Amino acid sequence: MSKLTRTLALLATLAMASSAFVACGGGTEESSAPAEGSSVADESSAEEGGDESSAEESGDESSAEESAAAGGEITLPDDGGTLSIVCWTDTDLLNMFDVFANHSDAAVEYVSCGENGAGASTEYATFLNSGQDVDLFVAEAGWILNYINDDTMSAPLSDLGLSEADYADAYQYTVEIGTDNNGVLKAASWQAAPGGWCYNTDLAQQYLGIEPDDTDAMQAKVKDWDTFAATAEELKTASDGAVTMTATLGGLWQAFSTAKNAAWVDGTTLKTDVAAEFTDMAKEYADAGYVNPAVDQWSDDWTAEGLNGETLGYFYSTWCLAAGAQLEGNGGSAGNWRIVNGPQDYFWGGSWLCVSPNCNTSGAAAEFVRDFTVDPAIMEEYSLESGDFCNNKTVMDKIVSDGSNSNALLGGQDQFAVLKDVADGIKMSDSITKYDQNLKDTFVDVLKKNITSDSATILDAFTTKALADNSDLTSDGAAPADDAAADDAAADDAAADDAAAE
Amino acid sequence: MASAAQRRIKAISYAKYGYMFIAPFFLVYCFFQIWPLIYTFILSFKGNQSANTEWVGFDNYSTILFGQGTAEGAPGVQTEFLHALGNTFILWFGNFVPQILLSLLLAVWFTDAKVKLPGKGFFKVVMYMPNIITAASVAALYVSLFGDSKNYFINATMLNLGLISEPIKFVSGPVASKIMVMFIQTWLWFGNTMIMLMSGIMGINPSLFEAADIDGASSTQQFFKITIPLLQPIMVYTLVTSMIGGLQMFDIPYLFHTGARFSRELETVAVFIYYNFNKGTVDQASYGYAGAASIIIFAITAALGSITFYMNRDKDAIAKKKQRKKAEKQYKAKMKQGGLSI
Amino acid sequence: MSMKQQYGQSKDNYHAKIIIKSTLIFIVCLLLTLICLIPIYIIIVNATHAHLDLTANPSNFWFGGSLGDNIKTLMNKLPDDASKTAIRVARQYNNSFNVGRGYLNSLIIAGSTTILTVFFSALTAYGLTVYDFKMSGPAYTFIIGVMMIPVQVSSAGFVRFMYSLGLINNFIPLIVPAIAAPAVIFFMVSYMKSSFPLDIVEAARIDGCGELRTFLTIAIPMMKPAIAVQAIFAFVANWNNYYTQNMILKDEKFATVPIMISKVLAFDKNVDKGVNFLCVTLSILPIVIIYFILSKFIIAGVALGGVKE
Repeated sequence: MSKLTRTLALLATLAMASSAFVACGGGTEESSAPAEGSSVADESSAEEGGDESSAEESGDESSAEESAAAGGEITLPDDGGTLSIVCWTDTDLLNMFDVFANHSDAAVEYVSCGENGAGASTEYATFLNSGQDVDLFVAEAGWILNYINDDTMSAPLSDLGLSEADYADAYQYTVEIGTDNNGVLKAASWQAAPGGWCYNTDLAQQYLGIEPDDTDAMQAKVKDWDTFAATAEELKTASDGAVTMTATLGGLWQAFSTAKNAAWVDGTTLKTDVAAEFTDMAKEYADAGYVNPAVDQWSDDWTAEGLNGETLGYFYSTWCLAAGAQLEGNGGSAGNWRIVNGPQDYFWGGSWLCVSPNCNTSGAAAEFVRDFTVDPAIMEEYSLESGDFCNNKTVMDKIVSDGSNSNALLGGQDQFAVLKDVADGIKMSDSITKYDQNLKDTFVDVLKKNITSDSATILDAFTTKALADNSDLTSDGAAPADDAAADDAAADDAAADDAAAE
Repeated sequence: MASAAQRRIKAISYAKYGYMFIAPFFLVYCFFQIWPLIYTFILSFKGNQSANTEWVGFDNYSTILFGQGTAEGAPGVQTEFLHALGNTFILWFGNFVPQILLSLLLAVWFTDAKVKLPGKGFFKVVMYMPNIITAASVAALYVSLFGDSKNYFINATMLNLGLISEPIKFVSGPVASKIMVMFIQTWLWFGNTMIMLMSGIMGINPSLFEAADIDGASSTQQFFKITIPLLQPIMVYTLVTSMIGGLQMFDIPYLFHTGARFSRELETVAVFIYYNFNKGTVDQASYGYAGAASIIIFAITAALGSITFYMNRDKDAIAKKKQRKKAEKQYKAKMKQGGLSI
Repeated sequence: MSMKQQYGQSKDNYHAKIIIKSTLIFIVCLLLTLICLIPIYIIIVNATHAHLDLTANPSNFWFGGSLGDNIKTLMNKLPDDASKTAIRVARQYNNSFNVGRGYLNSLIIAGSTTILTVFFSALTAYGLTVYDFKMSGPAYTFIIGVMMIPVQVSSAGFVRFMYSLGLINNFIPLIVPAIAAPAVIFFMVSYMKSSFPLDIVEAARIDGCGELRTFLTIAIPMMKPAIAVQAIFAFVANWNNYYTQNMILKDEKFATVPIMISKVLAFDKNVDKGVNFLCVTLSILPIVIIYFILSKFIIAGVALGGVKE
């Protein structure tokens, strides 16, 4: 009989729950759900409900009023708990945690979300508002704008007592990218991400006759794209096609496109001119066998190319050269790789620290952000410890002039000396859009699959896919989206084009 | 004595127990499924990405079905959806047909007393085994064996043996990857289907086969004249469940890739819905397309399901009617006679 | 179907035929068995090789000597003098693939859903078949109707709804809905119609047995075969349910085996192929072993899944 009682109790609970839901259901329909969702989530999360809902309310400007802690500018709550930092991998964070432990007693914890840098862009959306304890989160250049421009996802750095003035010495583009559409500073980067071309000296000596430590000779062989292609041809002949010039189209694309400083999207218009230029180049490289178009960036095949000596070099950003990062996994542990500037100065991504509006360990969070993005002494320590390129011009100048950095993976070479000037020239803030991750993934995907088709087909396929994925974009030369009639016409045109193509 | 008790019992209305017993189902179903269904329906009339709060009427439907939506990307969305729909049917058909044929063959062999097969039990156990392995692991297993390049087991082995000169693109090739998914799905399910069919065959009255034997009917004749016709109900059951499952095919097609994203060549409708729904923040996701695609796939399933049920309706319906009439008659008789013992 | 002896003179010929046929069938079965087992064997073999070996030569047919190292990496139990990278690799795998936790979470979900599904489906089926009430017909029609609705149709709304209830990273959205399993009810109703004598209920009533007790003590034991089949199906389905789990469980604490394995496979940094294979092995092997131990029962149970005449 007790079974019956229990059953009835369950029914009653369900009935109550469903009526509660009907009550809140009416409200949810009109407005966007996540904001609402999170507040409901907060109410029902027993442990930290109080903290979080207050943080929620104080998310924006109102935070100042709510702040009772008069002592500092830190306006987010602090319960003295463990600082939780969300990222898709702890490779970079672990280096930071080691350094942080030298200076602070605060407990830090890495919280994993997402499978990889690209995947995290979508996983974060659910995770950050799921009632999890999140204080800080790491975002990549490709998709950070989606998060800093959404006040339910990120809080201003001023809530941790940090302002633009603290970043006078930082690489300016990192500050610009960390600033949202309303001019509020929302994210700070601990690194700048200039890129270079990293090559296997054994292969260079064997096939190109370049002495292991003669990086100038190698740079002369890859000083611009024409020379790069000529060297690729030389390499191909010498190795009888066994060794490719570089591992992936993805790497080539990064070096080629970021140097152009052109954004994927202008207003709401999809720009494909750089993609068009690159498509021609990619086809040429793939046809000639300078690169294996079937290899995906970051994949096992990509790693195997370096480990098995099947490719001369990779396009690497500075964060690939740090301890435990890509260079080491791709065969760099023997110390026979070197880095040079390559055909063009370029840059590659980078990661930013963002503050969650639900941050409830603000003291430690502020300390962490300050240590790695503002404090010169700690940033220097971190750079030397990890091999990461820190986001402070003075510190980097000092490290290079002191000659204090030597990277064992590069046989003792100082990658900072090679790449410091490149960092000064990064103008990423002009070219970054919130569509980047999606568009880049789609482009590389389409390119890889259709590499044997002609350029026009590839670009058409890309445009179709990109517009399908991003319904608020229009193609080059099409009418702006705000005019409905023109938009209709554009859609009709596109449909007609499509029909014609078939 | 019994009659009095029975009369008393008859006088009690048990209807309330009926409602009570089915109430948990309906409460839970309504709470967890009906609102989501309505919500999906609502989403299908709202915009995508930054326009996700706007009402757009049938725009998502016309985009997906006819490529006529207001967004410039509409034709692309339509192409992608139709591609996904096509893939869904190809992948389902390509695994259902070999699976049912293989399973039927095995089921007949395993139930044929004339075949002396040592280790029959072992075979059955092993053949059902793939079905219990997590689909995610199965995808991982096949990806790590059948990867596109010479860095993966199958291609490396075949290259070593000189069977091929270029690696076969099992994972990203448009045809090869589909064949792989069909193979994996068959691998996963043939044991299950086989055992279902076996139980169906064992349910057939053995005297039918004995009689056929006496009349000198061959195995083939027995198969087509006895087994197949009598297996029809269970075949239909398999067809319906497989069809519903096939239209929902997600795990293997979604996970069978090596790059950062799922493979477009294997994109099914379920993957389309999942992808559009999970593209990122609210401003990035295409809830409208996901919602509309969901409603469309529901319509397709409902239509296919109804057709299948309609085609098999006569037997069931007749049996049901008979049963009901019989029950009614019995009931009336009992009511009249009151106290007849059972 | 006993073999009859009426074949007289052609008996020898007949026997030869049967032997040939049986041998052929045996060979086919053996091949299929190999197809089922070889992939798993190769995965296990590869799990015993080191990353560098596998990168240099992915074609291995026999066990290597690195199983211990791979296990140490996965368990994050490296020796103190391990390189920084090795430590990174170990931490990454250990964070994302915790075998014990994954199995526990999967077992909690699959176990509770199985119990809820079979119990409440039996209850509903019993309610629909035993009691004669006005709504029983429409209710059954409704159940058959909703059986057709694919998960994906409502999943979008379902996840948003759970989200708004704060039920992300919670097992409730994965377990409680199992109470409503239309397909299982459909199966159980047809089972009861064919093999559950309603008279027994009346007999129980006469003996003064309450309705719920009748269901629990009389109906459930009689429906055991059907319950066993559906329990197996429900367990396997929920054990393998990557789709919903992946959308609801975002925190690693709650990750189930399918989520963990897909996560490990998506690593793009610090990949160790040997450990990858070990993860796949660990996600497969325990369940396969349990299966072989229980195989007799399971196969017998699944065989009952056939529609009764």
